Amino acid sequence: MDFVPHDDDTITEMLEVIGVNKIEDLFKDIPKDLIINGLNLPEGLSEPDVLKKLKELGATNTIYANSFLGAGCYFHYIPTLVDFVVSRSEFYTSYTPYQAEASQGYLQAIYEYQSIISRLTQMDVANASMYDGSTALAEAAIMASIITRKNQIVILEGVHPEYIEVVNTYCWGQNIALKIVPIDKIEDELNQEIAAVLFQSPNFFGNIEDVSVLAKKIKKTAPNCLLIQCMTDPTCLGILKPPGETGVDIFVAEGQSFGINPSFGGPGLGIFAVKEKFLRKIPGRLVGKTKEINGEREGFLLTLQAREQHIRREKASSNICTNQALCSLSALIYLVSLGKTGMRKIATQNFQKAHYVKKKIKKIPGYEVLNNKPTYNEFIVKCPDIDSLIQECKKLNLLPPLPLSKYYPEMKDVALVCVTESNSRESIDRFIKALELANNNKEARY
Amino acid sequence: MDSRDSLIFEKGNKNTQINFIPKMDIEFDELESFIPKNLIRDEVQIPDIPEVEIVRHYVKLSKINYGLDSGIYPLGSCTMKYNPKINEHIARLAEFSQIHPLQEENEGALQLIHNISNMLAEITGMDGFTLQPAAGAHGELVGLLILKKFFETKGVVKNKIIVPDSAHGTNPASAKMAGFSIIELQSNKSGEVPLDHLEFAMQQGDVAGIMLTNPNTLGVFDKQIKDITKIVHKYGGLCYYDGANLNPMLGICRPRDMGFDIVHLNLHKTFSTPHGGGGPGSGPVGVTNELIPFLPKPCIISTENGIVCTHDKTHSIGRIKAFWGNFGIILRAYVYILTLGAEGLKRVGQIAVLNANYLRTQLQKKYNLPYNRICQHEFVLSDKNMPNEITTEDIAKRILDYGFYAPTIYFPLVVNGALMIEPTETESKDSLDKFIEAMYQIYEEALNEPEKLKNAPSNTPIGRLDAVNAARKPILRD
Amino acid sequence: MEYEFPNELKYLQTHEWIRIEDNIATVGITDYAQHQLGDIVYIELPEIGTALQKGGNVVEIESVKAVGELMMPLSGKIIEVNTGLADNPESVNSSPYGTGWMVKIEINNKSEINELLTMEAYKEIVETEKK
Repeated sequence: MDFVPHDDDTITEMLEVIGVNKIEDLFKDIPKDLIINGLNLPEGLSEPDVLKKLKELGATNTIYANSFLGAGCYFHYIPTLVDFVVSRSEFYTSYTPYQAEASQGYLQAIYEYQSIISRLTQMDVANASMYDGSTALAEAAIMASIITRKNQIVILEGVHPEYIEVVNTYCWGQNIALKIVPIDKIEDELNQEIAAVLFQSPNFFGNIEDVSVLAKKIKKTAPNCLLIQCMTDPTCLGILKPPGETGVDIFVAEGQSFGINPSFGGPGLGIFAVKEKFLRKIPGRLVGKTKEINGEREGFLLTLQAREQHIRREKASSNICTNQALCSLSALIYLVSLGKTGMRKIATQNFQKAHYVKKKIKKIPGYEVLNNKPTYNEFIVKCPDIDSLIQECKKLNLLPPLPLSKYYPEMKDVALVCVTESNSRESIDRFIKALELANNNKEARY
Repeated sequence: MDSRDSLIFEKGNKNTQINFIPKMDIEFDELESFIPKNLIRDEVQIPDIPEVEIVRHYVKLSKINYGLDSGIYPLGSCTMKYNPKINEHIARLAEFSQIHPLQEENEGALQLIHNISNMLAEITGMDGFTLQPAAGAHGELVGLLILKKFFETKGVVKNKIIVPDSAHGTNPASAKMAGFSIIELQSNKSGEVPLDHLEFAMQQGDVAGIMLTNPNTLGVFDKQIKDITKIVHKYGGLCYYDGANLNPMLGICRPRDMGFDIVHLNLHKTFSTPHGGGGPGSGPVGVTNELIPFLPKPCIISTENGIVCTHDKTHSIGRIKAFWGNFGIILRAYVYILTLGAEGLKRVGQIAVLNANYLRTQLQKKYNLPYNRICQHEFVLSDKNMPNEITTEDIAKRILDYGFYAPTIYFPLVVNGALMIEPTETESKDSLDKFIEAMYQIYEEALNEPEKLKNAPSNTPIGRLDAVNAARKPILRD
Repeated sequence: MEYEFPNELKYLQTHEWIRIEDNIATVGITDYAQHQLGDIVYIELPEIGTALQKGGNVVEIESVKAVGELMMPLSGKIIEVNTGLADNPESVNSSPYGTGWMVKIEINNKSEINELLTMEAYKEIVETEKK
């Protein structure tokens, strides 16, 4: 199936109108030695056959009943409204809304998304999206470098290790120096040559920083340095103080927790919000409100396009064009479906369930919760035998927590546990059982 | 009729019923007992909104939005082809949508990425692919970083990239993000790259490579493409192919054979994944064997046991995105390629070019066609010689009144008042004829009733908007 | 299209005008430049005290569809910028030589003045560009 609607008669008719004999004549500009003899690919499959093939392929992806794995991608309940709205083909099959008059629906939705992110984060302006949290953080670092005209960036330990790698790659591209620093050493590392300090809170290990205190510390020593916060699960903003009130200059987050399926890690959503004074340097698309030229009605359009690549070309600070529009629509529907009441309840449940599991773990000998600060829905646990824990979890149909040795080989036997509102009591009981069994296995071996 | 409503926030009230929270089934502690008060925020400033109000609001908004399922989207350089519904169905299956990127049991997902890599390699002639980049521009950045690393490991300083003046804006912007500066080449009268200027630029010795798309943004296949890539290689540079215009070449011709070393593709253009109003997309990058060591991490390879695993390359440019790429989009493209097969892909190229030339033939009877020759998948008209000082923008806005989406305007920059048209292969003759008829009527109006164009659009939910004030005093949130 | 180019000013090929009084140069963009750019929406002015060589980019001028740059016509230090442009960027369109001025420079190399164009020379450049 090629989805071409023409039949042969129509094709003949069209060739006549064009004035050529056959389709091959339309390719006469291509040198003969470049024309290939077809592709070495199998023939096309019908819907039922392709469905069968994909189901076979998908069968080796295990779907767990419950998950205790987070580390940058989270299982939250997604309201049915989200898929209902993003499945409307007027939205998902539409193009970037450059022709504003024919795209008022989507433009208004993006404006509402920008507004809702501003409301939630208490930052002044949010853009229409970046690719994901990791690239949003990298572009924030570059933006800071351009604004301050400095080419040194400090990143605090505790930022997601994959995010650090991405920032590193982007900085290398622009000859920006990157230094990773432990949070308690930050004051020693600050100087007037630093463009920005990047940090994550709640961080990769679960710790929630007192951002106001951190911000004051940093601005005291380096007042012109920008403070950039990233977040991997922004549902915590239902309870935690928003970045706009703590002294953060640029806020980025992975928005997958706002109504987007895990989907093996992509597509996600790069949330990007800044203080007013940085508005003109923000990358990505922006939707603005305005009036008709010859009328009184208000409408929406893409604005401040002179920042972007299609106008600035090599003078643009970012090359971003296609972003994650449909995912920002998902996030908007998620947030309006929950409202303030729902946001508070979800965040509270995440806090309380994780806290509950922490308390239970503390009672199991051999295990130690290692966090020394408050945590949201993730925390780290030293385990007597992490391999055994992982096996026991799988036997009980639980997606096991992340062994930190994946990113930090020296952190053997430490697990990053994630508990969200989607973890029922029953699944938590099974998890506790898995922990106990793993401990017994260790004891049994010695 | 003003069918646009208020903002969603105005639909809120004090009804706090919420249907999306599971019942709390554990013994819980009050938050304040374990979270310090100074970390806790005031009330979130998002109203509670009844479900039925949310539904009505967004259904209403969808009805004042033009999607591809509504009608033709003749946007040049965008390849707005039909988005098959089977792709959407499969992307939502739990075995793909509910899997975590870090879970160990991911064989099916990795196999899928590996399979599509092989298919894209066959389609383009390249040797290895990464599916990590989230969009075409992201792919461009990756490709250019690969170039940068390639020369770095050789200890050679090459810090310039050649870009033709007809190039898409992301090309020079991406080059800059990768630390290069630009040499812009002026296209010749036929819209092609002038070989002598190219050779002169390459002779300076500091050029890392050239970024090209072929067919170019004028819809013209540059016959000298092999000469171009030869010249660049002769002086130690590499050639980058912007795959945005690959559609007409599917099954007919391959970038590798043209001499390209690096290719990016746009799955949301050529491979039918939905445009989503501006994303998400996916911009896989393919390279020659020589450049495979530089691909971003993680890479997916298969061993002789047939098991797919990951392997970090020693000269990798590093990670360019968390996790594995836009998997949900990659999956849709994979299903599309499986659906088309070899024959279907070839037909795509053939009919894309047929449809574009049919439109061209009919439209040039009234409108100015600066490059009067057989085109590939797209062609460019201009507002030159339009009566009554009608501009391209006026034409585009009047097209909206006829119920169609307007083509790309004012791009490429090499044509003044450009109107860039790409119908794709999934438009029927009937759809094309209706568009042609509308364009003929618009021309008559330009002649006899120009105010209809000057005041356009008048048949859309809103009239022409004040972009100047929107940029002077931006209102970006409520 | 008839553009206005005051006789008493000096010009640059890159479409800047310069008014010289002792060692202070007032600079803006010409009528032709503002017309090419279209409605100006935003102007990014340099900080007072910035020292730049002749030829450096000193101001960024944004319209809805384009970006232009003002080049330093003469080496020197920025001593004043037109803060009124923040609220009224449209002055550049309506009064490019009056209320649309952009920066004042304290010149440090008077010999560079000789390299500036007269109105006639500049007008010729514009005529050629228009073709």
